[in-house]
Amino acid sequence: MILKSEYDLVILGRGAAAFSAAIKASEITAGQASIAMIGFGPLGGTCVNVGCVPSKYLIEAAKVVHNQSHPRYPGIDSIKPAINSGKIMGSLRDAVKEERVNKYENVLKSYGNIDIYEGRARFLDKSTVIVDNNGDSEKLNGYNFIIATGSSTKIPHIEGLEDTGYLTSNTVWDLNNLPGKLAILGGGFIGLEIGQSLERLGTEVTVIKEHDTVAPGIEEEIGAKLMEILKSEGMEFRTGKKVMRVFSRNGKKIIETQSRRGKEEMEVDEILVSSGRIPNVAGLDLEKAGVEYSSKGIFTDETMKTTNPLIYAAGDVVDQRYKLETLAAGEGSIAASNIYAGTEKKVNLQLVPWAVFTEPQFASVGYTESGYNQTGRKSITRTVPLDLVPKARILREEHGIFKMVVDSETEKIVGIHVLSPNAAEFIIEGVYAIRYGLTFRDLIENSHIFPTVAEGIKLTAQSFTRDLSRMSCCME
Amino acid sequence: MVSKKVTMRVFGMTCDDCVRTVSDGLKDGGATEIFVSLKDGTASAVVDDSRMKPEDLSKIPVFGEKSHYKAQVRKVE
Ligand SMILES: Cc1cc2nc3c(=O)[nH]c(=O)nc-3n(C[C@H](O)[C@H](O)[C@H](O)COP(=O)(O)OP(=O)(O)OC[C@H]3O[C@@H](n4cnc5c(N)ncnc54)[C@H](O)[C@@H]3O)c2cc1C
Repeated sequence: MILKSEYDLVILGRGAAAFSAAIKASEITAGQASIAMIGFGPLGGTCVNVGCVPSKYLIEAAKVVHNQSHPRYPGIDSIKPAINSGKIMGSLRDAVKEERVNKYENVLKSYGNIDIYEGRARFLDKSTVIVDNNGDSEKLNGYNFIIATGSSTKIPHIEGLEDTGYLTSNTVWDLNNLPGKLAILGGGFIGLEIGQSLERLGTEVTVIKEHDTVAPGIEEEIGAKLMEILKSEGMEFRTGKKVMRVFSRNGKKIIETQSRRGKEEMEVDEILVSSGRIPNVAGLDLEKAGVEYSSKGIFTDETMKTTNPLIYAAGDVVDQRYKLETLAAGEGSIAASNIYAGTEKKVNLQLVPWAVFTEPQFASVGYTESGYNQTGRKSITRTVPLDLVPKARILREEHGIFKMVVDSETEKIVGIHVLSPNAAEFIIEGVYAIRYGLTFRDLIENSHIFPTVAEGIKLTAQSFTRDLSRMSCCME
Repeated sequence: MVSKKVTMRVFGMTCDDCVRTVSDGLKDGGATEIFVSLKDGTASAVVDDSRMKPEDLSKIPVFGEKSHYKAQVRKVE
């Protein structure tokens, strides 16, 4: 295949944002835009290879084990299933490969206008990138560019960490034998999801955090409840502790922490670093392209345009509060439409739902209470415990919370936050409520299916005007 | 009146009929001295910039939302 060095569109990256941009650009231009997609590692980037897909697979496998060993109903004996971790992890890797082949490798075959380049890209000037691959370099010229280089695990500077070795969400999927004892450095969502799964598969899991809360940025009471639930399942949380040093002793990994109460040592088999993500901007030579950025990512406007009007950015590399597959793909598509269809499409982060796939799940859209109050407007909120939702009682999964944030004057819904079974499946109701400016009264007027966990949204809306304990089932 | 020559990348043309449609569309949009290349997927035309911003030539109906053809203004001289 002869690859051209002059392209209509050069995309830096081969992940969700890049694919979505390349396909959208191809659709709009009837396959006539010549597109180069540059990257390294397996096609599809983080989500399919080392992110959403393997993590959700492990979560579901671990759930099966948990449900067998913790039956929720009286009269069903608990069994401790024999676990072949090598087989589970092998099947996880097969599932990843299948998704990658189906949704990326095969899809690409239908687009003859997209050329794939292997390597790392850096800008030489505003219309040229150099692709470095194992000592070889190649120059590519483009008219438009989309930067979609994603993000990477932030590795904290801790003495001895590199020498001692650690896992990240890139490497944990390669394990066959699960560690007996695992310490997770950082209590972000990725660490909580992987931590709960491994704990259910038999690993002793301890989360070590400098801050006292898990899951920063979510409603405080929901974060606290999630931590309480995970603790009751057996995960240990050592909060308020700073990791000072890591070293090996007798084949084990030793973590030395410091807190107000002094120094402590902890011995584990493995360490998982999960202390946040940083955008992949290093080495791109963005200055040469006139693209402004900070350590938080590339600056774009809502149309995904960077400070160079011919260059766009999309996905995890953008300076924005969420790092999500759906957002990355959405932004890739917005960038391509705005480049080729003459549109001015905008991303609206207030309408982006997101979820943490722990059990129970956390799902959220819109403003938190404090976030809304910081905008200068006033909110009123209601919080309903999950055990007031009949379906949760039937499921015997009663630990969770529904919280709704509404504007105090207009009564319009501005945020919904849920910790419950299947929360990720029904948070979309909140997206439509916010998008179409619905008030909590509008939600009350629609019947919800009884019995469902989603009914909790309606009950929360009703709790603005009445005492739920004095209502009969399903009344409006 | 200042005449500006606009060079565009045009997407979606597959045959001589398309060239005709795009040329007619440019004419209807107020352009003159129109040249459309099917092979290169390009078009050039002259516009009177007191009547229209040269950059807006890619927004005329023949390149609009419902049209099969899309264009990008690449050069204005
Ligand atoms: C463990 C985990 C679980 C997750 N779970 C979920 C989930 O359940 N739901 C959800 O919505 N999101 C989830 N996410 C987030 C989601 O995976 C990311 O938001 C999404 O993959 C970002 O896509 P992207 O296209 O921006 O970047 P990526 O998919 O990371 O792609 C970046 C691409 O850029 C390339 N690249 C990097 N540097 C260069 C360079 N210098 N030159 C050229 N190419 C370069 C890489 O090779 C790669 O192809 C999860 C993430 C992790 C880590």
